[in-house]
Amino acid sequence: MASQAGARSMSAMTRRLVVPLGLIGAIAIIVIGGAFLADREGAPKLLAIIYDLIGSHDRADELRQGIGDTTLAKLLLGGVALLVGVGGVWLFYITASAFVGMMKPNRQARIIPWVFVLPAVALLVVFLVYPTVATIITSLTVDGGFAANYGAMFSGPMIAVFRNNLIWLVVATGGSVFLGLIIAGLFDRVRREALAKTFVFLPLAISLVGASVIWRFVYVWRPPSQPQYGLLNAVWTGVGFDPINWIATPPINTYLLILIMIWLQTGFAMVVLSAAIKGVSIEVIEAARLDGASERQLFFRVIVPIIKGSIITVATTIAIAVLKIFDIVYVTTQGRYDTDVVANRMFLEMFVFFRDGRAAALAVVLFIAVLPVMFLNLRNLRTQGIGQ
Amino acid sequence: MAKRNWWLTAVVIAVVAACGGTTASPSPAPSNPSASGTPSATATAGATEAPAAAVPTVPTGYTELDAALGADKPYAGKKVGIQTQWISGEGANFTAAFADFAAATGIVITNEGIGANHEQLLKTRLEGNSPPDLAMLAQPSAVVSYGQDGKLLDIASFMDPTKVNGDFSKTIGFLTDGSHIWGVPYKVDVKSTVWYPIKAFEAKGYQVPTTYQELLDLSDQIVTDGSHPWCLAIESGGATGWIATDWLEDAVLRTAGIDAYQRWITGDLKFNSPEIKTAMDDIAKVFFGNGYVDGGTTAITGTDFRTAMDPMFTDFTNPGCWMQKQATWFGPDFFPDARNNPGTPSQYKVGTDVGIFYFPPIDAAQGKPVLGAGDTLLVPVPANGGEVRPEVKAVAEFLSLPEGTENWIRAGSAISANEKTPAEWYAGAYKLKVANDMLTNATSFGFDASDLMPTVVGSGSEWELLTQWINGGGTSPTTEDVLSQIDASWPTTP
Repeated sequence: MASQAGARSMSAMTRRLVVPLGLIGAIAIIVIGGAFLADREGAPKLLAIIYDLIGSHDRADELRQGIGDTTLAKLLLGGVALLVGVGGVWLFYITASAFVGMMKPNRQARIIPWVFVLPAVALLVVFLVYPTVATIITSLTVDGGFAANYGAMFSGPMIAVFRNNLIWLVVATGGSVFLGLIIAGLFDRVRREALAKTFVFLPLAISLVGASVIWRFVYVWRPPSQPQYGLLNAVWTGVGFDPINWIATPPINTYLLILIMIWLQTGFAMVVLSAAIKGVSIEVIEAARLDGASERQLFFRVIVPIIKGSIITVATTIAIAVLKIFDIVYVTTQGRYDTDVVANRMFLEMFVFFRDGRAAALAVVLFIAVLPVMFLNLRNLRTQGIGQ
Repeated sequence: MAKRNWWLTAVVIAVVAACGGTTASPSPAPSNPSASGTPSATATAGATEAPAAAVPTVPTGYTELDAALGADKPYAGKKVGIQTQWISGEGANFTAAFADFAAATGIVITNEGIGANHEQLLKTRLEGNSPPDLAMLAQPSAVVSYGQDGKLLDIASFMDPTKVNGDFSKTIGFLTDGSHIWGVPYKVDVKSTVWYPIKAFEAKGYQVPTTYQELLDLSDQIVTDGSHPWCLAIESGGATGWIATDWLEDAVLRTAGIDAYQRWITGDLKFNSPEIKTAMDDIAKVFFGNGYVDGGTTAITGTDFRTAMDPMFTDFTNPGCWMQKQATWFGPDFFPDARNNPGTPSQYKVGTDVGIFYFPPIDAAQGKPVLGAGDTLLVPVPANGGEVRPEVKAVAEFLSLPEGTENWIRAGSAISANEKTPAEWYAGAYKLKVANDMLTNATSFGFDASDLMPTVVGSGSEWELLTQWINGGGTSPTTEDVLSQIDASWPTTP
């Protein structure tokens, strides 16, 4: 018995003691800890009391007047948050476990999984389901309701926005996966494979905002009379052309922004696909060679079909990131010069135009657009046996 | 087994006790706020710091402010945070503006300066039930909109509305909706100003233009002399386009007049009307003038506005550009030598090296209008609809008085919105004297129209479409297309 769940190892009497005490403790932690964390002055106040207790009244007074050093108070706040978080969860499991232990054994088996899943489900409801429902309601009720908010999507400028998102989806996803696949296939044969792959993988460690700032310098434009410090224009003028303000020149600017995404995501595609290629059994490859397949046929007709599952996983993962693209556009053009995308338009409507209804409607459309890709991704994971 | 169970119970009790202990003690803390520390501090500070510079004399006319300045310093140690868009040089000036008051009252005032995305953060905080104690905002239309959403405290509920209306007779109208006052004007800036290199002008024999035609003739002369007349750049991140709206507003005031200007703000006068189109044609002469800007329209939309005047300084005796139309908040902090060496002041002095002239009239019939803008202090309703604390009200009342800007004025860089501010405070600083003279000589005063229009137009389509217009050289899209597209974006529901 003792080797099984802890709840069963308790005597009935202890359980009767642990359940109410744990319940009181959990409620106390949530109420008291919550109140403490909600009070902006809570940590300095507590620290001042501690200073008073150890006899350092000057420091306590300084803190109360808001002039003392608050670094310690911040650390204390972190400590209390940790205590409330970890202690609260621990107490919840002890109490719930003891509570389940009081039930009949055949019921216990059915309820135990729920006890462990419940906190995660509760967090999902609070932080994911509730905001989703609230967003949908906002899109239907604020700023003129359904007709105005969703109707605005078919007006002139919005069509260009959706067109841009489609270009992003096709070119950025396709480009990253294709390049990743080719590079993975080629690097499989080079001698210093790990080193070569590291260089391609490196950009993935850079944030979208950081990469956008870097590339903005690459695309920067200076008047023809000035030295060109943008890499692209330096090369361009070096060949003898007039400098072009790349970021403000549609339609090429959208593709130049997409290039930033491809630069970032190719490494991810390469790593996953390279692992998949290495997983293809040597017997299959040798059989293909014996049958007289050329190296190109071997790659595209044998290896690619075998790793199809991995390709779909990579493509859908990148597609989801691309559909939600915001950072690159916001940092480089803010959606100007015909480069706007849905997520940037959503930010504009929300924080610049203050039209929450329009922003919510765009969020809903984006959500619906991502759903089929997510579904594809999940189904693919399941066929690979990962999602089971 | 029995041991383990006892241990378990003990820990549970200990955790409960510990948590009970921690919170039982913080709660009585607020009831005795540093009873031991304050009186002694008052005794010493009260004696020495009484004649502090920028502190109003009691009675000030405001209850909380009088209390704050009382000898017992009732609000000493209380914290008040003000979210503003002022960082670095401007942030330091603002901090100096309330430093004397903070020392005299013991209130711990903080400038929570947010460089970029100040407006976005403020919206998140106001709507997310976590507002700052006080905030400054440049868009009166947004202030009124927050007020009507119940996010702000009505100023008239704690400050005498007669006094407020008297102190801010020219600007308070933008912040009321009849029955409420949703903000206090703090600082104003004159936007009809052109910055130019004084000595280079003298050396070349150029005269400061007094009509728009003279301005264009001078521009042509500078082109003929082999340079570029205009330091014109409008790139400003997410806000790109606002400088173009300032140009348009100045032109509308000068060609259509103040009455048409006011109807334009409310939407009664369309963008695609002869009045606005005339103004667009006038600014087009500068924006698209041949050789007026080094690099042409691409340079205008593609260069950071903070660096617009940099070519003037590469060889100050032979400037690469000669004139920048920019408001009075601009100054030596933005000159390249000061910008590239933070902490060291620019070697160029405003008044002797760099001067300011009035953006000249276009149509003499419209007199000498002045375009201006300003920052508004707003008092958010605290989280969960709580009461605004008296020390917060005291700081708001202080900032509404001339003394609330005094140190910033004396630093030579601000104009108070309070019309009771003594004129001699401005006398020493060239920039402020010029601006104050412009305001005094003005035949009409227009407040920045784009800050008063619905934000979807004034901070959205107008910025975006004027940028496109400049980028396309005024022909693709055409002026008519741009104006009618801005009209189309005007919200149908208020």
